[in-house]
Amino acid sequence: MRRILAQARKELTQIQRDRLALVLALVLPMILLALFGLALSLEVKNLPVVIQDFDQSALSRAYIDSFRASLTFQIVALEPDERPEHALDDGKARAAIIIPRDFGRDIERGREADVQILVDATDANTANVMRGYAVAITQSYLASIRPPASSGGPAIRARTRLWYNPGRSSDLYIGPGVFAVILALFPPLLAALSMSREGEQKTILQVYVSSITAHEYLLGKILAYGVIATAQWALALVCSHFLFGMWFAGDPTPLLIGTVLYLFCNVCFGVMVGAAIPNQAAAIQAVQFGGFLFSFLLSGFLFPISNIPASIRWVTAVVPARYYIVLARDAFVRGGGWTAVWYAPLMLTVLGAFFFFVAWRNMRRMQVDA
Amino acid sequence: MRSFLDAVLSGRILPLFRKELLQLKRNRRLVIMLIIPPTVQIILFGFALNPDVKNLRLGIADYSRGVESRELVSAFDESLSFRIVAYYPSGDALGDAITHGDLDAGLVIPQDFARDRLRNRTADVQVLLDATNSNTAAIAGSYAARIIAALNEQYASARPQQVSAPAPSALAGDAGASAPAPVGTGGPQLRRATIAPHITPLYNPGLETSWFISTGMIGTLLVLMGSLVAAASMVREKETGTIEQLLMTPADATEIIIAKTSPLLVLLSGDIAIALVVCRLVFGVPIRGSLLLLISAGVLCVFAGIGIGTFLATITKSQQQAQLMAFFVNPPIALLSGVATPVEAMPTWMQPLTNLNPVRHFAVISRGVLLKGVGLDVLYPNMLALAAAALLLVAFSVWRFRRQLG
Repeated sequence: MRRILAQARKELTQIQRDRLALVLALVLPMILLALFGLALSLEVKNLPVVIQDFDQSALSRAYIDSFRASLTFQIVALEPDERPEHALDDGKARAAIIIPRDFGRDIERGREADVQILVDATDANTANVMRGYAVAITQSYLASIRPPASSGGPAIRARTRLWYNPGRSSDLYIGPGVFAVILALFPPLLAALSMSREGEQKTILQVYVSSITAHEYLLGKILAYGVIATAQWALALVCSHFLFGMWFAGDPTPLLIGTVLYLFCNVCFGVMVGAAIPNQAAAIQAVQFGGFLFSFLLSGFLFPISNIPASIRWVTAVVPARYYIVLARDAFVRGGGWTAVWYAPLMLTVLGAFFFFVAWRNMRRMQVDA
Repeated sequence: MRSFLDAVLSGRILPLFRKELLQLKRNRRLVIMLIIPPTVQIILFGFALNPDVKNLRLGIADYSRGVESRELVSAFDESLSFRIVAYYPSGDALGDAITHGDLDAGLVIPQDFARDRLRNRTADVQVLLDATNSNTAAIAGSYAARIIAALNEQYASARPQQVSAPAPSALAGDAGASAPAPVGTGGPQLRRATIAPHITPLYNPGLETSWFISTGMIGTLLVLMGSLVAAASMVREKETGTIEQLLMTPADATEIIIAKTSPLLVLLSGDIAIALVVCRLVFGVPIRGSLLLLISAGVLCVFAGIGIGTFLATITKSQQQAQLMAFFVNPPIALLSGVATPVEAMPTWMQPLTNLNPVRHFAVISRGVLLKGVGLDVLYPNMLALAAAALLLVAFSVWRFRRQLG
């Protein structure tokens, strides 16, 4: 125990004297947190749309006005001799609405009026959103011009309730995910750098000849970087509270216990990488790939895991961030508590133990060799 | 420009060039690094970043349990957007399932649903959506509204006192022939009027989301790989101290840089080909425009990357430092580019800033060329901006490099 503490103290002193490491530990994570939060969103507003109105009737103009009133679309002018397709090619508009000559007459006579809407589908998701809004706007326009029906409105009316996030703020979705991804990058990065530095500069040989055992040495490192990771966690929590308005929605204990396990897991991953690769530059890349890229892509951070094709979906099971995102979304948004997320801390424990075991075996083997 | 011409004419640049090529040839790790990570990353990004909203897990709490409510449930079941996973005895049980994250949406049908339907009164149903994921919730909400609207239209046309009207369709190309309506003007006719929006998704009729990500990722990879490799090859000379030996030779800084970057440029251009092949074979991205235009844009991207890498090399002493410094530069380049998420979704004040990002312009160009099939007449502003960014970055880093050596 004494030796573990001594090792941890040595690590903390070392990092205190390394300016770049300190910046990496405390400043950069917060910058990235803000950047991710601001840049990653799918909530599109003010998409430029051009309109070609062959009808020029009062009804068609009212129809156009209902598009003008929506937040999603912003009507931009179409040059008199320009074809709407060209405006889409050009990137000047993301959608084009073409109203045929008989639009107003058809409506007045109670017939079906046609409207053509061209949507730029290079971005399929935005195209889908535009399609949804265009249909909704058309329906509400129809409802507004129809005389109030005597038989009492539509047959079925849906009362839609948006739970947990009634304002549909994308911050509440991105926030907990960014929180997890940042913690999957920086704690293991620092731990891996420190481990591989010892290998690169051969100071590890001093460790081999000292009386410290492999697990004491590793636990000392993990303790030191765990302390730093906890500080990062606390800073990130405060930052995301102010940036994304995130705060505990229910029982915080699953998240708090999960956090300890998650940080242990990530630091162990870093130590494992550092022990395996005695080259700092290569270790950085390994953490970037294994820690960051996987947490970013295969954790359900931006899009549901069920959207990942089954052939690579199994990989997500070993990505710790996946479980922490479940915990964070539950704690900050849904508030379901233990019954909803009991399995996440368990999986984090298993993964953390596995990373520690691999690092320990690596260390022991080297020690025997030396 | 003069010094460049001098360098080429003096014949010193060729031996330097050969030295770099030999060095690269022996560095097998670098070659592997240029092939495997880009391939894996495009595939991973294309598959994993998929915002499709399909097969939403729907739970049902049906208090009415009649023919009428079953009709509504089957309307949801028949749509591809929802998949009914379970029935719940009560709304509370359904709510708990949503809280536990077992469901994406819930449908609660009240007890008097059947009665209301029979008396031709508006029957209310509750649609509960887990809005944790705001994007999914928005799309799911519009799907639900569409399903119910279609059902309403069907009921309205079935009412005996009304002339049948075709249901509106939101699907592309689904043009229903309009039923003949009695001649007349004004009021009551309007009730039967419908508008059929024929929505055509251009450029990507199958709404393949991977086409968006993978075409954008090409630029990100070129800039990131370019900066990584350039920084590594410049810093290595510094780290091992061989830079002094290079400076002892009659070659000047410009010549050294040209000789160092041109083999990298060739190698990285290979990445453009790899990326395009992956896009084409794995995701079936079409190539509708001029490949030459796309490749020149790619080369400009590589230049920008080399500029960034050289700059990183001037402010660091070791490979490890250069890589850590890259953490400050690469995330903003990758994120503020409209590659993974649309630029229109960023805060308004941030959107103009993305114009400074070479990756953003490359993304516009690659989507323009590959998906839209447009040419230089449309893309020239982005081409110019990309060229300016590349030139500026390279000039700045060369200037810093020369000053450091001088």
